[in-house]
Amino acid sequence: MPPAKLDPQAMARRAAGFIAPGDVVAVDSGLPSLVPGVTPPDLGAWFLRNNGMLNDLPLSLADAAAVTRGGYVDLAVVNAGQVDAAGSFSSLISTVHSGPNPPGNAVDLAAGSGRVIAMLPHADDQGRPNIVATLSSPADGLRCVSAIITDIAVIEVDSGGLTLAEVAPGWSGNDVRALTGADISISPALREMDFSPPTGVPPSKVYPDGPSAIADVPDGATVFIDGFGGPGGMAHYLLISLRDQGSRDLTIVSNTAGIARVVSFGTPPGRTAIDHSVLIENGQVAKAIASFPVSPSVSRPSEFELAYRRGEVDLELVPQGTLAERLRAGGAGIHAFYTPTGAGTLIAEGKESRNIDGRDYILEYGLRADFAIIRAHKADTNGNLVYRGTSRNFNAVMAPAARVTVVEVDEIVEAGQLDPEEIVTPGVFVQRIVKRPDAFTGYE
Amino acid sequence: MTFSKLYDTPATAVADIHDGATLLIGGATRNSEPTALLVALLASGVRDLTCVCDFADWDGSEGVLQLAHAERIASIISPFPFAGESGGVIRKQWQAGALAVEVIPQGTLAERLRAAGAGIGGVFTPVVLGTRFADGRETRTVNGVECVLESPLRADFALIRADRADALGNLAYQGAQRGWNAVMAPAARITIAEVDVVGEPGAIDPELVITPGIYVNRVVHAPPTGEQG
Repeated sequence: MPPAKLDPQAMARRAAGFIAPGDVVAVDSGLPSLVPGVTPPDLGAWFLRNNGMLNDLPLSLADAAAVTRGGYVDLAVVNAGQVDAAGSFSSLISTVHSGPNPPGNAVDLAAGSGRVIAMLPHADDQGRPNIVATLSSPADGLRCVSAIITDIAVIEVDSGGLTLAEVAPGWSGNDVRALTGADISISPALREMDFSPPTGVPPSKVYPDGPSAIADVPDGATVFIDGFGGPGGMAHYLLISLRDQGSRDLTIVSNTAGIARVVSFGTPPGRTAIDHSVLIENGQVAKAIASFPVSPSVSRPSEFELAYRRGEVDLELVPQGTLAERLRAGGAGIHAFYTPTGAGTLIAEGKESRNIDGRDYILEYGLRADFAIIRAHKADTNGNLVYRGTSRNFNAVMAPAARVTVVEVDEIVEAGQLDPEEIVTPGVFVQRIVKRPDAFTGYE
Repeated sequence: MTFSKLYDTPATAVADIHDGATLLIGGATRNSEPTALLVALLASGVRDLTCVCDFADWDGSEGVLQLAHAERIASIISPFPFAGESGGVIRKQWQAGALAVEVIPQGTLAERLRAAGAGIGGVFTPVVLGTRFADGRETRTVNGVECVLESPLRADFALIRADRADALGNLAYQGAQRGWNAVMAPAARITIAEVDVVGEPGAIDPELVITPGIYVNRVVHAPPTGEQG
């Protein structure tokens, strides 16, 4: 009698052991779908399922695809049919058949994730190995699997091939090797599989104040700054923090390059609105990428306009919708796209044009930034955000496209206090949270 | 006079869906699928349909499966057209050459629908590179990354399901209902939404509207019949 194989729950418990606190984990259907249920909630993991649910947050599938393609997935757990010795996998069921294999979202998970682990039975019902020298159908993911969890073993995969690292209780290395259809070395440190749950809690995203949250913005950084025209939806406290921090040669990406001060909508008498101008006055900005870089009033030029006339700053002019689309592309792993906006106008100069199905398009590129400083109404401690009214504007589209997104909010609540249906920006896109001081206003 | 997008019955809402139409069919489970619209479509007798959907051949998906059983589907575009060897009617028809199947990875399908809805002519993304889904496709290196061109996927009609609507067609979903329905709504020439609850304009908190009514042409009130997937 061979020793017993692991049941799916035990395989899922072993897979959960790969999850670090706060990880974003994309789980395929099948065996991987059991992993969330055996992972301690305290670990703070985010599970993205192939129906678009991110924990309890409902995402559209386009937003879910952006989580994987935007590079936000730390760990993908795929439901493999076969894995080869190079770590390529196919998602077909275990016996060979012809025809269109359903890849589901396995292709996305393979391409967009930091680390891929595959779960599958070690062999099929007839004892034929699922870990093979050559896949019997085309790969859904190429050389991406770093660990394989089966019902009898854990196998590590690297450029040197397969290494048997762990065996299920009662199994020997040679037993496992006999059921493996590819060359496999047995680790000198071979051990029995450990099913203890992962431990730890994710680091807090809540920062004590603005200066600490933006302290590491380096000279030369690209920074997204949210806001529309007036004071609404602008992270005034973080702007002042960035001014005081003093980093230079910044490229700022924003709808305007600072016009709230000159349009003065709603500004109390005797005060000045805080906007991008505080950075420009302080000599910190080298370039703006914006759709409304100039004041609507010829007689009241903005700080950016004055600096531009002095030759101190560069400008890249982007139509507003194209700016939003370039940001969305940057966050969703789209490197370039064709848009009809601007075709045949000055905006098209120097850009590739293409006629597609009778319509002219130009090629535009995704935009990414080192930092985004954005404004929301409320955050929970996981970084989930809700906005209020038009203050949503560019915030929601900027958050996914920056390496570090820092949000300034009116209120921070405990995780679970926001209605999942109302959350616009999932916390996976938000790295740092700062509460705007109660006494702080958008005016100096 | 208030303009209303409300239709009295599922049958009237789908009456102009013609033979050979391309349909986006939302949902992946029973309570996220536009069941009443699909039943009405079956009754209408329309045929040679191209259906774009997530899980086509799945026990929970009565609508698409019934259309297939009645031999109304000419083509399926899906990440899960059928489940490996266990596929039923769709697999059989595909094997017999009666039905075409195009397999698209899930994220690629979502991105192509999103592009169609946003007026994008095509997107360059590296995702399918090296897999069979890149065979014969236009590629180029963008910022040092080799990418594949993905084209927008537009349709004649989208049949979607939401939790509630107002008469202007603004929609809110519940949970995983949002998944495909929200992506498909903007991507079709005519979008028909089946909803559990219909309210007056303004009945849905604007912060909770996921699909603005401009993307929705018709609304049908079809409360659930009991069974939930």
